[in-house]
Amino acid sequence: MSPTLRFCPCLLLAVSWLLRAAAADGLVNEEVKRTVDLSTHLAKISAEILLANQGGSPVQSFTLALEPELGPHLAYVGASVKGEEEEDESLELKETAVHGRSGTFFQVQLPSALAAGGKLRVKVETVLTHVLRPFPSHITQAERQLVVFQGNHYLYSPYPTRSQSTRVRLASKTVESYTKLGNPSKNDEVIEYGPFKDVAPFSQDTMKIHYENNAPFLTISSITRTIEVSHWGNIAVEETIDLRHTGAYLKGPFSRYDYQRQSDSGISSVKSFKTILPASAQDVYYRDEIGNISTSHLQVLEDSVEVEVRPRFPLFGGWKTHYIIGYNLPSYEYLYTLGDQYALKMRLIDHVYDDQVIDHMTVKVILPEGARNVHLDTPYVIDRSPDQLHYTYLDTFGRPVLVATKNNLVEQHIQDMVVHYTFNKILMLQEPLLVVGAFYILFFTVIIYVRLDFSITKDPAAEVRMKVASITEQVLTLVNKRLGLYRQMDEVVNRYKQSRDTGALNSGRKTLEAEHRTLTNDIAALQARLKAEGSDLAEKVGEIQKLDGQVKELVNQSCQESERLVAGKVKKETYITSEKTLAGKRQELISRIDSLLDAL
Amino acid sequence: MAEQHTASDCKQRASQGAGGSVSGNGRPNTAAGCGGGGGGLSGGLTQPAGWQSLLSFTILFLAWLAGFSSRLFAVIRFESIIHEFDPWFNYRSTHHLSTNGFYEFLNWFDERAWYPLGRIVGGTVYPGLMVTAGLIHYLLNLLNVTVHIRDVCVFLAPIFSGLTAISTFLLTRELWNQGAGLLAACFIAIVPGYISRSVAGSFDNEGIAIFALQFTYYLWVKSVKTGSVFWTIGCCLSYFYMVSAWGGYVFIINLIPLHVFVLLLMQRYSRRLYIAYSTFYIVGLVLSMQIPFVGFQPIRTSEHMAAAGVFALLQAYAFLQYLKDRLTKQEFQTLFFLGVSLAAGVVFLTVIYLTYTGETAATMATQHHSLAQHMPSLYFSPLPLINPIKPVILNLDTERLFDPVLSAFAVYFAGVMVRLMLTLTPVVCMLSAIAFSSVFEHYLGDDMKRENPPAEDSSDEDDKRNSGNLYDKAGKVRKHVSEQDRPEEGLGPNIKSIVTMLMLMLLMMFAVHCTWVTSNAYSSPSVVLASYNHDGSRNILDDFREAYYWLRQNTDEHARVMSWWDYGYQIAGMANRTTLVDNNTWNNSHIALVGKAMSSNESAAYEIMKSLDVDYVLIIFGGVIGYSGDDINKFLWMVRIAEGEHPKDIRESDYFTPQGEFRVDKAGSPTLLNCLMYKMSYYRFGEMQLDFRTPPGFDRTRNAEIGNKDIRLKHLEEAFTSEHWLVRIYRVKKQENRQALDHKLRNVAAKQKYTSKKVCISCLIIVVIFKYRFFFFFSIGYQMFMQ
Repeated sequence: MSPTLRFCPCLLLAVSWLLRAAAADGLVNEEVKRTVDLSTHLAKISAEILLANQGGSPVQSFTLALEPELGPHLAYVGASVKGEEEEDESLELKETAVHGRSGTFFQVQLPSALAAGGKLRVKVETVLTHVLRPFPSHITQAERQLVVFQGNHYLYSPYPTRSQSTRVRLASKTVESYTKLGNPSKNDEVIEYGPFKDVAPFSQDTMKIHYENNAPFLTISSITRTIEVSHWGNIAVEETIDLRHTGAYLKGPFSRYDYQRQSDSGISSVKSFKTILPASAQDVYYRDEIGNISTSHLQVLEDSVEVEVRPRFPLFGGWKTHYIIGYNLPSYEYLYTLGDQYALKMRLIDHVYDDQVIDHMTVKVILPEGARNVHLDTPYVIDRSPDQLHYTYLDTFGRPVLVATKNNLVEQHIQDMVVHYTFNKILMLQEPLLVVGAFYILFFTVIIYVRLDFSITKDPAAEVRMKVASITEQVLTLVNKRLGLYRQMDEVVNRYKQSRDTGALNSGRKTLEAEHRTLTNDIAALQARLKAEGSDLAEKVGEIQKLDGQVKELVNQSCQESERLVAGKVKKETYITSEKTLAGKRQELISRIDSLLDAL
Repeated sequence: MAEQHTASDCKQRASQGAGGSVSGNGRPNTAAGCGGGGGGLSGGLTQPAGWQSLLSFTILFLAWLAGFSSRLFAVIRFESIIHEFDPWFNYRSTHHLSTNGFYEFLNWFDERAWYPLGRIVGGTVYPGLMVTAGLIHYLLNLLNVTVHIRDVCVFLAPIFSGLTAISTFLLTRELWNQGAGLLAACFIAIVPGYISRSVAGSFDNEGIAIFALQFTYYLWVKSVKTGSVFWTIGCCLSYFYMVSAWGGYVFIINLIPLHVFVLLLMQRYSRRLYIAYSTFYIVGLVLSMQIPFVGFQPIRTSEHMAAAGVFALLQAYAFLQYLKDRLTKQEFQTLFFLGVSLAAGVVFLTVIYLTYTGETAATMATQHHSLAQHMPSLYFSPLPLINPIKPVILNLDTERLFDPVLSAFAVYFAGVMVRLMLTLTPVVCMLSAIAFSSVFEHYLGDDMKRENPPAEDSSDEDDKRNSGNLYDKAGKVRKHVSEQDRPEEGLGPNIKSIVTMLMLMLLMMFAVHCTWVTSNAYSSPSVVLASYNHDGSRNILDDFREAYYWLRQNTDEHARVMSWWDYGYQIAGMANRTTLVDNNTWNNSHIALVGKAMSSNESAAYEIMKSLDVDYVLIIFGGVIGYSGDDINKFLWMVRIAEGEHPKDIRESDYFTPQGEFRVDKAGSPTLLNCLMYKMSYYRFGEMQLDFRTPPGFDRTRNAEIGNKDIRLKHLEEAFTSEHWLVRIYRVKKQENRQALDHKLRNVAAKQKYTSKKVCISCLIIVVIFKYRFFFFFSIGYQMFMQ
């Protein structure tokens, strides 16, 4: 397992020497209590060993052994020292080999040397997968599932055992057969073997139990867990899961009628299971290649989010399914930072269902673009594949992806990993700037395109037309302004009629004159330009000018009239009639100007 | 509801904006109010085209948005999923395209369809849709936008609806004016007739083809107007896109010649027309032949002959025009011309007559008859609302003539086949937009403006300014507007406001109606069903996907699944398994064989299934939940199609009671009660009691207690049934080792050295009798009977 050990012969030598020394040291298993839990589809074997050092020198470590038949099925092994005050101290394990013996061996480092004559209570926990073999291997929907377990009556150990008892916990009371070494006692779901006295080292005796086990034999044949870290506050987790029922194969038809009407029909099938997600999980989705799987339920609890995952169809023996489950997590719970240093502390693998078995796992951690000096700390040994690059929204040079794989995992492997990396915070601005830049370029291109002439042929007529149009436009505004002046003048006159303030009238008249002159001059200039362009509109403008002169006359006249009225030189009635005629004339002129304007 | 508001909001705004821009006076005249007319005009001119283009842009954008969002009902209610049947095939081929590349797609031989024949997909599809979606996906991935091809496919049609709105705007602007264009864009964005084929998830050819159609029309009108080769080539490219997208391109290749022909008849021949049509016909023809599925059809089949005829006619006409300049014998020439054009016209009309009333319409109609079952009825179309206010436009302008021609043609087509209602929809939208626009022109116009006769229509002014090239449209329009303005000068403000209000009400109702129809009739994926409880909570019936996914996961990768052709594409798309027949119903005899298997008794069906290497049989059964589109209800189609090919074995009358009824209960015909489809549908259903008011085996779809409750299957076994029994899958049992008998016999024969001849002969006789036992017993019985 550990590559460092395998490729370091000198170390190996040292270890084997140590081992021999240990065996020679005379460690003895004083008392062993084994519990074999077969109530699920796993075999969980735990043993409480009272180690005694009967040799002459203190011992630093001892060796754990596993039968050669069970070695490939080993998913997890852990040892701990049973403390005085109920606090277990887990010990460090290293895989080793024992000269001349087959099997899987681990060297367990003790916290403190065991003095000669000393005793220590050690708890060893082993989880084996795929050791329960369905027998018969094919069953019909109505039948119950029977499995066979083949193990060892004794503790497989390099040390002699003084006294040992084994207790086997089954899934049900129904037991077809079991080996009867030492006349075991069976009580409901429990079979007790032993105690066996003075067992030699490495002794094996097949324990075979054939019993009913309808626990869900679910296996995750492969899982790909992708963790995508964003520094904008989100961590996206997605798990792609291939699930398989590894119990007895379904033989013959699947009847939905029986399945719906009879509660014990298809008893070993899996209808649904619960997946526990972190408490802060949001936007959970559960889908497959053809869309959402609408048969699931989500429950938000205080300390977790529980998804009731129901595959599209119940899983019978041999059936498989495939799905994707994903969710978002807030990064503040998992991402720690100190300056440019970041650390992501997350579960390497998470809960999928209780007593899970994962045959093959791939973990991918996608770090933000620009993360450097990446370093992965895992709680157990895991195979690193070469890093990859991942491109997603607004990426330019790709995000680093850590890829790691491991086979044969169980619930005990749900532990935290830590990814350390450095990231320059300035790089956070890269993506927004990219968007800004893109829009800038877009708008700039549009501006350039609109402003510049890209036609390959020149159309002089069109250009002249456009020029004329722009001049006409200016003329129109000016004429309108000039007409506006007359209205202002009218107002001035009205005010004057009320206030009889000659000064105001005169100043108003002066401004009118001045502005009118500038406007008329402007228009005349434009008219000249129109003429220069050779447009016949110049004549019309000239006509407007002429008409405007008349309007001006009229305005002046009405102004004088009002003066005379105020001075009392004219009677009110005559003033009103003359004003009316003047206004009529004016209106006529203005409408003529307008029609001319319209014709421009 | 939110969509509804958006839609109606947009509609109102659009209509107001359109009205405003048409009259050119909708904006308040402030600074330049010169105590008379011309205020609005000069106001518009002080800000050259600025606010107007902004307004148009905003309206078009909102139309796009409204069109897009009103198509999202299914995505919001369900999920981003491909709908119905054909889209699944399109999705599957797009997926193939995006994973294997374009050339691999063109050469794709799909061995998973039409087992054992297979299907040459690259040569039997219009690839435009797949290429469009694939291209979008490719571009997005180039930009590192990690979007799944499924999402591209789901949202393609809604996005293209916006493009359709814009091209409709352009076309209507060319034909009428900007205001009508904006109205038309808003109409087409939400009109149900178009939405029905372009909701999110409805990944079908029509979704992009309507855009191509409208855009081709626009470019055609543009090229006739300008006579520029540039626009014509653009038109050809657009036509090419249309050909690659949908079989409905035939519509264009007949409509444009018709337009040209009518123009010729009306003596409106011009050099521009000549350039436009000649270029279009030649380049368009060559381009359309590049599509493998179309191939040489454009020069072979009758649908395309009209275009060729008009092309020849146009050349002849142009030649005569040329001669006319050279020759002087006027009388002779006109006579000649008349004769030629008459002959050509007759030929053209016969071709058209033959094409549409004869073969094409009939074949198309029969081909799609059963497809029509799946579609919601088209009574929801906007026609009833819009038709009454369709104005009689008799303004026979060169390009405007296009409109009546188009509408007449579209109406004719839609009459021939309901499915082609789709091509009518844009036309109706344009016509009604024009109607509304001119009504608003009448009634929403500014009082100020009418005091002085309007000299020029502002929109024309815009056209002139914007496009830069002056065609003779402005003058005519001006006449038109002033003609219209005169009679209603006496209208009071009350009438005007009432009419305006009515129009706005109508538009609002239209928006509401569209949204309602969209949400109720067209927004179900039909792959996922939903039912509502009394308390309003929703149950999702996901049986289709359950069963398809089971097939995908738990059957052999090369398993062959027999089902009725309706489900072929879905099985291929969702279950990824080999099917016998699918929705590309190109081989009737193969379908008939499947129909025969379904309608025969089990042992006869077994023989057929054996010969077709069937591993699984999939049927749809709605009896438990009352789903009416199930296989028993479609069963008569299977029988009929099977009868068409195998009239000796299958007779439709056998499946009816003597009274001529189709019943599944005890009174039903025994042939029906023992056929494979019946057995598979009701296998073990007779034991099932759905509730206490009904007897066991009560079929909710047909409201009958089934007649055959004791169904035993010999050659099949139930492999999977979905949760609500909607999909049932049966496994065809592998042949038992019955051949052993023959081998043993051979052994016996080999042993004959050791046995007496008598034994051997008696063995042989027994074997012969056993083999021909039916004939044997039959002949004995026959003899006895004769005696």
